[in-house]
Amino acid sequence: MEMDSLPNGNSTTTSTTAPSTAPPSKLTQLTESLKLEHQFLRVPFEHYKKTIRANLRAVEKEVSSVISAVNDYADSDISNDDAVQRLTSLVSRLQGLKRKMEEERRTENLQAERCRARIDHLESPDAENLTGWANMRLKRILVDYMLRMSYYDTGLKLAESSNMLSDITFLLRALMIWQIECQDLVDIDIYLEAKKVIDALQNMEIAPALAWCAENKSRLKKLKHTQIKLLLAETFATVASNSDPGVNILEFNLVKHAIIVNAHCSYGWQSKFEFQLRLQEYIELVRAENHMGAIAYARKYLAPWAAMHTKEMQQVFATVAFKGIPECSVYKAFFEPKQWDYLVEQFKQEFCRLYGMNPEPLLNIFLQAGLSSLKTPYCYEDDCTREDPLSQESFRKLAFPLPYSKQHHSKIVCYITKELMDAENPPQVLPNGYVYSTKALEEMAKRNDGKITCPRTSLVCNYSELVKAYIS
Amino acid sequence: MRFCLKILPIKYITLSCIGDGAFAIEIGDDPPFSDIAGALYSYFSAQTSDREVKMDLNPIKDAFDRVAKKQKMSSSKTQEVVAQMIREIELSLEIIKAEHCGSEVDCKSVFGELKKKLQEIAPLSQFEGTQKELNIALSKYPKQLEKSFNPDISKAYRNIDFDAHTVNQIIAGHFYRQGLFDVGDCFINEANEPDSTAAMKSLFSEMYLVLEAMKNRNLEPALNWATANSTKLKEKGSDLLLKLHCLQFVEILQGGSRSKALSYVRTHISPFGANHFSEIQKLMACLLWSGKLHQSPYSDLLSPTNWNVVAEELTRQFCNLLGQSFDSPLSVTIAAGFQGLPPLLKFMTVMAGKKQEWQSMKQLPVPVELDREFQFHSIFVCPVSKEQSTDENPPMLMQCGHVLCKQSINKMSKNGSRTFKCPYCPSDIDSTQCRQLHL
Repeated sequence: MEMDSLPNGNSTTTSTTAPSTAPPSKLTQLTESLKLEHQFLRVPFEHYKKTIRANLRAVEKEVSSVISAVNDYADSDISNDDAVQRLTSLVSRLQGLKRKMEEERRTENLQAERCRARIDHLESPDAENLTGWANMRLKRILVDYMLRMSYYDTGLKLAESSNMLSDITFLLRALMIWQIECQDLVDIDIYLEAKKVIDALQNMEIAPALAWCAENKSRLKKLKHTQIKLLLAETFATVASNSDPGVNILEFNLVKHAIIVNAHCSYGWQSKFEFQLRLQEYIELVRAENHMGAIAYARKYLAPWAAMHTKEMQQVFATVAFKGIPECSVYKAFFEPKQWDYLVEQFKQEFCRLYGMNPEPLLNIFLQAGLSSLKTPYCYEDDCTREDPLSQESFRKLAFPLPYSKQHHSKIVCYITKELMDAENPPQVLPNGYVYSTKALEEMAKRNDGKITCPRTSLVCNYSELVKAYIS
Repeated sequence: MRFCLKILPIKYITLSCIGDGAFAIEIGDDPPFSDIAGALYSYFSAQTSDREVKMDLNPIKDAFDRVAKKQKMSSSKTQEVVAQMIREIELSLEIIKAEHCGSEVDCKSVFGELKKKLQEIAPLSQFEGTQKELNIALSKYPKQLEKSFNPDISKAYRNIDFDAHTVNQIIAGHFYRQGLFDVGDCFINEANEPDSTAAMKSLFSEMYLVLEAMKNRNLEPALNWATANSTKLKEKGSDLLLKLHCLQFVEILQGGSRSKALSYVRTHISPFGANHFSEIQKLMACLLWSGKLHQSPYSDLLSPTNWNVVAEELTRQFCNLLGQSFDSPLSVTIAAGFQGLPPLLKFMTVMAGKKQEWQSMKQLPVPVELDREFQFHSIFVCPVSKEQSTDENPPMLMQCGHVLCKQSINKMSKNGSRTFKCPYCPSDIDSTQCRQLHL
């Protein structure tokens, strides 16, 4: 075989198979993908912060009540026996506080450890353990999905399951480490907080949800402020992009108007969850035909929202006029059990915002990005390789509404070896125009005395008849 | 103008000579937004070429250490203050008790004293000082996170709802695929998916039994499976069976029985003699080193990595015969997502406000470079028109070996009416001599 003197056209041509922009290196790619892990660090921190703040508040409350008690005693006449008794009770109160503080300190330390463990986990991947790390990452994403979709048992099980391939002798120890590790790496207890509320809502109980609103009132309010700020910034940007450099009065008014509108929107939206909870409680009173109770409840809890949700209020008040569940569709809707599912959805959204979580499950975000980057028209052909996820019906179904990927450079995959061809393993053309990699063809020629058989057309030719192609 | 020339795909630009060596450049009929945006993006990303850096987590660690430190300080401060208060109250208590047995003193003055003492301690203002520092640290950390990470990865998310049932089927399949049978069962149960999803389970349970046995250095199930499927394996050109026999041979030899090992070679390995002569020679030579194989030139046969390599090969062949992919399709897609998302997010940052267009695009606006392992299909992009080939516009091989798409060749040859110069080399090209390629 003459391998070196093949008729490859113009010999002065330099190889142009090398892509003009090198694909990003493994390390850069890793760095870029690590930057997507914001939620992973943010969520345990928000939890930690919440604990710290709550503990501080509890201490302050207790201490100031002790001080004011002392002040009261100083101003009143108390017998000595009484004084001894009261002071003793103050001491035991403070000692109780001290014990509680020590307990809380342990919780805080655990939470701080978890935050640290996560930072360390992001630092751990390198070229050697990348596969294992990526597996762990997928498990984390799946646990996130399970917890968001309220599949708590599966979520827990997945987090706790030791990997089946671990060495048997170390199984026990591995299991323990795995448990600790996993609990550090997924936010189970935070979701369990949510579960309490969701379970109650599904059992048609409002109280835990309202308690949750009250507990997080200040943080929910803060979110509202940042949201208004964000909207403001956006409005300014829109106006700025539509205008000349000089600001005139008209534009200024426009901005002001936009701010007011946005503030209203966000305020309305903000308090809506609590309003909806109250509304549902009222509806339940009506359902139980406790009309007087319903009206009293509405006066007390619904009236403050009247200005903002006038229409809904009127509709909902009208329900009292009917006996039993009304037939009319507008009013009937209030009594649908679906309303409760809607409340659960609303709660989940509020909850995610509070903890700095993405509104969508991570799984969906990465599935979308992955499917789009993999989607090509060739994925839908019959001979699509099994290794391509898009050869499967379920993946094709998910990818259907997504855009195709875009390529700036040719990428030629050998039909025989399924390997990507490059300058070291360039493509060669058979006389019938079919292209295979040099490596595959050389091997075939070696086995069959220099004869090549095209696997797709069964054409037989000599190795010497092949032509090299320069595909850039 | 030069900028436009550099970044825009050639098809939108017309160059015309207007004499005196001057050229007029026209940008042709309104290139679609996505093309311009894509071109802009690649221009800018080429300008800021990424250096090879591992992510620096130290600023984050430092910021967190500050939080933890301030928290410790604040916590020990409160402890200290509370202890101080207890001491003062106990002191007053002792005074009252002591005076109780003696003369009748009014305890009002003791309370007054205590009140004054507590005012001096001023617990709340003491807390305030440390809390202020703690609050600063607490608000700095999330800011550092937002700086170092991508705070909003849903920016490039399309508002479409995935069918939950389909997603659940994929997940259940993935659990079984990975051998997490318990988790899979639990999931199917909890998500109320039909039992048909469990079909994957029976497919893979045998494979995991075989692999699990191999972990315990028991090759029997693996050998049984490979022997039962030996013809199919041979068709696929795999010598898995021989590899398994070799492992077994080394195990027997390590067990110290030379005669057993010899008879094992005779019964099981000699049939492979025709094609694998040299491997068998090597095994026979090992017999001489029985008991001290680790000192022999063949010590690499003892390496535990051999087991992992064979286990991987077995997995590959098993999946192959089952008609399944080697990697879990979900793992592949998510891994591709982690590579594909960063450029999309970067693009959305540049193109803020074009969210509407993003929701309806038929093709991603920017090229997403995935690793080799994600290249499943041949894609030809014509270097002249920058368009991907189709059945109507296939890649064509020119006489010099360079490849352009059919439309570009037609354009440059004025529909075959004249020869033209190859854009890559000095060759003259006759369009009638170009051949269609099948990639």
